[in-house]
Amino acid sequence: MKFIDSIKKDFNTMTWVLIPVAIAINVVIGQIVVLLRLPVYLDSIGTMLVAALAGPWAGALTGTLSNIIWGLAIDPNAFPWFPVALFIGFVTGWCAVAGLFKNWWKVAVTGFFVAITAAVVSTPIAVYLYGGITASGSSFITAYLLETGRGVFEAVFSTNFLVEPVDKIATALLAFAIIKGLSKRYISRFPRSENVEIEEGSRTNQLVIALIIAIVLIIISATVLTLILG
Amino acid sequence: MTQQLTFYIDRDSQLHRLNPLTKIVLVFSFIIIAFTGPWYLLPAVLIVLAIIPLSFLGRIQKEYAAATRKLLLPVVGFLFVMQSLFHPDTGEILLKLWFLDISVGSLRYAFLTASRIFVMVSAFILLLLTTHPSVLMSDLTRRGLSGSFAYVITSTLQILPQMRAKASTIIDAQRSRGLDTEGGYRQRVRALLPLAGPLVFGSLVEVEERAIAIEARAFTSTQPKTYLTEIPDTPLDRTIRWSLVVLTILTVGSNLWL
Amino acid sequence: MALIDIKNLTYQYPITDRPALRDLSLKVEENEFLAVIGRNGAGKSTLCYTLAGFVPHFFRGDLQGTVRVGEKESAESTLNEWVLQVGLVFQNPFNQISGSKFTVYEEIAFGLENIGIPREEMHQRVEDIMSRTGITDLGDRSPYALSGGQQQRVALASILVMEPRVLVLDEPTSQLDPIGTRQVFQVIKSMSGRGMTVVLAEHKLEWIAEFADRVIALQDGKIILEGSPGEVLTSPRLDDIGIAPSRYTRAARAAKEEGLWPAGQPLPVRLEEARQGFQRIIDGH
Repeated sequence: MKFIDSIKKDFNTMTWVLIPVAIAINVVIGQIVVLLRLPVYLDSIGTMLVAALAGPWAGALTGTLSNIIWGLAIDPNAFPWFPVALFIGFVTGWCAVAGLFKNWWKVAVTGFFVAITAAVVSTPIAVYLYGGITASGSSFITAYLLETGRGVFEAVFSTNFLVEPVDKIATALLAFAIIKGLSKRYISRFPRSENVEIEEGSRTNQLVIALIIAIVLIIISATVLTLILG
Repeated sequence: MTQQLTFYIDRDSQLHRLNPLTKIVLVFSFIIIAFTGPWYLLPAVLIVLAIIPLSFLGRIQKEYAAATRKLLLPVVGFLFVMQSLFHPDTGEILLKLWFLDISVGSLRYAFLTASRIFVMVSAFILLLLTTHPSVLMSDLTRRGLSGSFAYVITSTLQILPQMRAKASTIIDAQRSRGLDTEGGYRQRVRALLPLAGPLVFGSLVEVEERAIAIEARAFTSTQPKTYLTEIPDTPLDRTIRWSLVVLTILTVGSNLWL
Repeated sequence: MALIDIKNLTYQYPITDRPALRDLSLKVEENEFLAVIGRNGAGKSTLCYTLAGFVPHFFRGDLQGTVRVGEKESAESTLNEWVLQVGLVFQNPFNQISGSKFTVYEEIAFGLENIGIPREEMHQRVEDIMSRTGITDLGDRSPYALSGGQQQRVALASILVMEPRVLVLDEPTSQLDPIGTRQVFQVIKSMSGRGMTVVLAEHKLEWIAEFADRVIALQDGKIILEGSPGEVLTSPRLDDIGIAPSRYTRAARAAKEEGLWPAGQPLPVRLEEARQGFQRIIDGH
């Protein structure tokens, strides 16, 4: 009972009305990004928004439904990746509960955790769909590179393993930027508005810290991957 | 005109007349049978002997064929190729490409996986082509699904096309004001804000008023709900559902036996 | 006993530094048509939300005083119970579409499904209200494929179908063109004629003059004028509180200043009244 109650906490009328809008934001921005041919996805901004404002369960639901809708409306290739979308919402939600959505650099860290989660969750899916892992290092990398679901060519030959952290950190920062642009009164309507009580502090400082952290984290992930490659 | 986000084709057929739950049971039993069947050709047999005839029964065979061609075959085809190349090889090696091999074993596995996914997606397509989302959600709500959850599904299906239409308008308006959507990297990144900004904030502001509007219509009422339209559930429906459950159990059970 | 009885209401939204309504007391009789005027920010919307129960249940915040409608008190009821008595229609027609129904007919029935009205009765009520609001032929259309005026009538129908005792409208015609405005006012008028108690917050003074029994003017959350439309809408104090009187009032005032306006002739708000007055001038009184 307590568990169900803690899930229910995420959901009030505002949450229920927000979720379709968040899904629409995911899809529309995701598509604008394709139109502008930017090398990122940015298709989870709405998910992270819901996760921060309403909680991990609402975030997970938003991610899952968003994935399903994307599959129905745009590209059914997306369907098998629904656990990734789910965890994006789920992890962001818990990070927000833990207080990691209150200033720029904390949000960057959240983005990084989400990126790791996305990579971890998507690998088994890619493996199941596109081939088994053998002891040979090369097929492991290929399997990992395929986790973004992109074409074989790109996956094998491009530097996609940098995209996930960049994408997810950027998504988190954008979601945070949106929250900053909403009035406190509006935010207070949502079940977990305390998650986003923005910590004051020099904006420039925080942005600089966020940038530094983002770069550091990306370098770390690139290094790790190079090690696996080697 | 507002685009719709529904697959539903409005036609009268035996599939259309089935209760939505029956069709859902059909989808899930097909999935379970395809994924747990002990024979590697079972999913393919399901496709030929069940899925395709059902598309005719639903009088949506043309739309199903089109959906298959556009959505399904590329995915499944890609999957088949990938599995053939990357799945651990067993049996005779048939082909060598760089460091990748295709063997009988991997071909068989690829075929199995591809046809399983084909069954899964096809079953959903059949469901969606013959069931209006409103009716589907209404039936599930009657059977216990949360009304709020059903609300999210149906309203996403309408709000998304609305937002896309708005996005098109904003994109066109910005373009005519000189916004550069081609051009260099920085240009394109800069283009993101004026496109996405008004859209995102506008739609978020609506959320509060819409929440008030649905509360004013007793959205959070704890009264037992009633339903405007009747959705028939016939003895035939029940028979079909039970038969499918039995078949599913038999299939899963056959794994233990074999 | 008045149907609506508000006593000493003071309310402050959360995270704001000033109350939106101050020590406001108001009684509204059954079947009365009350209009509320005031500048933006004067508290009209807050008053509407209070009557409809959203203050305090949706907006939370700090509420003092009592709000009674019928036998129920706002602080002791739930929002769900309250919306059955008081219906709310507000400015933006688009935002009042639930989004969850694909046809206008179903959209109108949405509220009835939520409160458990039996199917037979649902159909009856929906068809009845559609004919009363003049939208019967829109039944099969998508709620999104309508003009603003049509959407607002659907919003009205969706609320009226729940048969509230009071209808509260917060600037329902602000976003509509003249045709849409007229259509909406016609519906409101017909509802009032059938016994509905109406509270209407509006800027369009001429429409108020035509329909309202009583007018109150708000400023900074307080009622500063109260009386018949003729009194309030031509009051010289309107300018002080930032409300422009109607053009007819202004024309007549100009005439009055010149000493032309007939003695004893009340200042007009609407065209008809103005015509009477000016006719008298022309006829040489």
